[in-house]
Amino acid sequence: MIILQKKHEHKNHYKQIIEQDFLEENIRNGSILSISQWREAKHIVQEQKIDVAVEFSSNACSLSDKDEISKAAMVQINFETFKDGRPFTFAKMLRKKHNFKGELRATGHVLPDQFIFLIRCGFDSVEIKEEDRDIWLELLEIDEGLYYQP
Amino acid sequence: MYKYSDTDKKIIASRVKQFENQVNRRLEGKLTEEEFKPLRLMNGLYLQLHAYMLRVAIPYGELSSKQLRKIAFIADKYDRGYGHFTTRQNIQFNWPKLLDIPEILHELSLVDMHAIQTSGNCIRNISSDHLAGLTLNEIEDPRPWCEIIRKWSTFHPEFSFLPRKFKIAVIGCTKDRAAMMVHDIGLRIIKRKNQVGFEIFVGGGQGRTPIIGKKIRDFLPKKDILNYLEAILTTYNQEGRRDNIYKARIKILVKELGIEKFRSLVEENFSKLSNKELEIDDKSIKEIFGFFRLPPLKPNTNQMPFKKNQEYQYWINQNVIPHKIQGYSIVQISLKAPKKPPGDATSNQMRALAEISDKFSFSEIRVTHEQNLVLPHVSNKELFNLWNQLKIQNLATPNLGLITDTICCPGMDYCALATARSIPISQKISSHFNNYLKQEEIGNLKIKISGCINACGHHHVGNIGILGLDRKGQEFYQITLGGSAKEDAAIGEIVGPSFSKNDLIDAIEKILNTYKKHKINKSDDFLSVFRRIGIKEFKKDLYDNFTKKA
Amino acid sequence: MVKKLQGETFLLSANELRSGKVVFFTSKGWSSSTDEAIKIKFDEINKYEEISIREEKKCIIVSPKFVELDDSGNIKNLRDKIRNSGITIKI
Repeated sequence: MIILQKKHEHKNHYKQIIEQDFLEENIRNGSILSISQWREAKHIVQEQKIDVAVEFSSNACSLSDKDEISKAAMVQINFETFKDGRPFTFAKMLRKKHNFKGELRATGHVLPDQFIFLIRCGFDSVEIKEEDRDIWLELLEIDEGLYYQP
Repeated sequence: MYKYSDTDKKIIASRVKQFENQVNRRLEGKLTEEEFKPLRLMNGLYLQLHAYMLRVAIPYGELSSKQLRKIAFIADKYDRGYGHFTTRQNIQFNWPKLLDIPEILHELSLVDMHAIQTSGNCIRNISSDHLAGLTLNEIEDPRPWCEIIRKWSTFHPEFSFLPRKFKIAVIGCTKDRAAMMVHDIGLRIIKRKNQVGFEIFVGGGQGRTPIIGKKIRDFLPKKDILNYLEAILTTYNQEGRRDNIYKARIKILVKELGIEKFRSLVEENFSKLSNKELEIDDKSIKEIFGFFRLPPLKPNTNQMPFKKNQEYQYWINQNVIPHKIQGYSIVQISLKAPKKPPGDATSNQMRALAEISDKFSFSEIRVTHEQNLVLPHVSNKELFNLWNQLKIQNLATPNLGLITDTICCPGMDYCALATARSIPISQKISSHFNNYLKQEEIGNLKIKISGCINACGHHHVGNIGILGLDRKGQEFYQITLGGSAKEDAAIGEIVGPSFSKNDLIDAIEKILNTYKKHKINKSDDFLSVFRRIGIKEFKKDLYDNFTKKA
Repeated sequence: MVKKLQGETFLLSANELRSGKVVFFTSKGWSSSTDEAIKIKFDEINKYEEISIREEKKCIIVSPKFVELDDSGNIKNLRDKIRNSGITIKI
């Protein structure tokens, strides 16, 4: 898998913490936490000034102001299916309502045909198979700049 | 009419390229059918009973003669020489090949047409009043607003994967000719304290759960319309149900939350998320209205010509209405000729109509949600000449608004979802009530026929609604009475047990007899009588001594 | 695809992916006519379902389905009849 950040490709620096290993000392730079793990551990993240990601599933995209999501370095939304459009609205909410300024990443079942939609809703990057790179870039190019909304 | 800008043209062209890419990936197996389906649907392409079906968008029902000629060309080259106009003012081709679709889309793009968002779980083609801009009692022409909303909703990055399809209709006067009250969002332009804005309805719809839209806003200043639509869509995209396809429309969300709660969520999104850039300034409103100016009509005192030709006089009486500019008429063309599938037009008819509209109506044609066509600006002195030319094409059937002017879905003859046929029912009705004077005596009456519970034939809002059902392999038809799609919108009530195909006409005759019995005078139409006497009288007359009832 | 099936004998049908045309499975592949279509007994259904999945993966057909036959070997349901013999109205 590779990470495509618009047209730039790089390696994934983030890693999931397996449930049974979820201990304070195991949280480090690049850990991916679930929202409940984040709620438990966000004070440590802030004290130690480390960069972690918080992961949501497309069918559980919800947050409250108390979650202080703006303090996470990355938010990752895993699409259970590309047909679930909730993450597009959630991305808008993260940016506009929760003031999240970090990296916003899509993973899971996403189609290259949705790349421009993701970017325009506030996503920065997407995790894809390496062999799919060309089609993702090709479709981004077809669509780029051709839309009506601000 | 709206004229495409360079940006519009580029967007459509890039879409053709994108779809070609999608088709190729599908044929190479890089997209599964499950993945391809939502993509093709968003481009108007279905797989029906016999073949693929392509639905082409006719934004707010407005066509130029050049576009109609292209549609005729496509019907001949890639299909079987005809097309079907739909209740959302679009046109469908029933027999295209998947391989040909990119080429068809390319041909369409040459005349500024496309199939974008005519299907799929996205914001569909915006529909409107087919008499927009033509009548005197209008507050404002709704078409420029349709165009503004069309642009905003096209490839909307956030709202292209909604829980379910989403339909918006806009009207500009108190008369509702667009079935606005049974749309996911209905917008009516109104005037309050000399300010023009929108009255907004939400959560209307037909299908298996028919609901009349609820008012969510009494008045919204027009500059805010896109922000308000975004607020509604944001709420729906987040909260709408995705666990059950039959409960996924916004009407179910509004029903489950209640309009008060739903409104408060929308208003919160509206106040917190509104985007300055989506506000529409006076300059761009003016610019867009510039596209929809009337052609150069010169007011005059010419009357509709009288001829000693009964058929022509019937047609004048039934299908022709005055234009707001004196001396001109609006000509409504019925696509409900006897024995023809409602809403169908052949390529020859389309070409002839294109020619006729060039000669008589400034090259403009409108499509109505009742599956008819309109020539919007015809000089009165040309009416007889026009009638003669329409008649040659079998396009002069004088039945607008009468019992044989049925709305009818394609039914089991074409549709993979249908449980019964609907076109043969409409044909039975049109043969049985063929006589104009008989129809005229019955008066205003809307029969609407659906071949399944999904209600594409609008049966819930027919004065008489007919729903085709499958009963142990046999086609049966359930009748509802008292529905209306107009400003007095209502959902029809089921009158009782359903009828076989052979008993249906008899049942309709009985219903009409009840109506005639209680009719006070000529202007007392079916719906008024129904509302006065209620369904009981009809039930009694229909089922007492009805031996063959199911 | 198989779950709801009732009846004893079936034809395997589908639409051709490229054209959308209705086709039936014969011993020589897909055909637009039912003449040589293989009559499938209920207990053979799984085998033919596998064939249909394979053919779908090869991008030859889409939307496979089993069409039920009546006792005399004719297509049983009205929808399937119309699907096979075309629309019942004149254009």
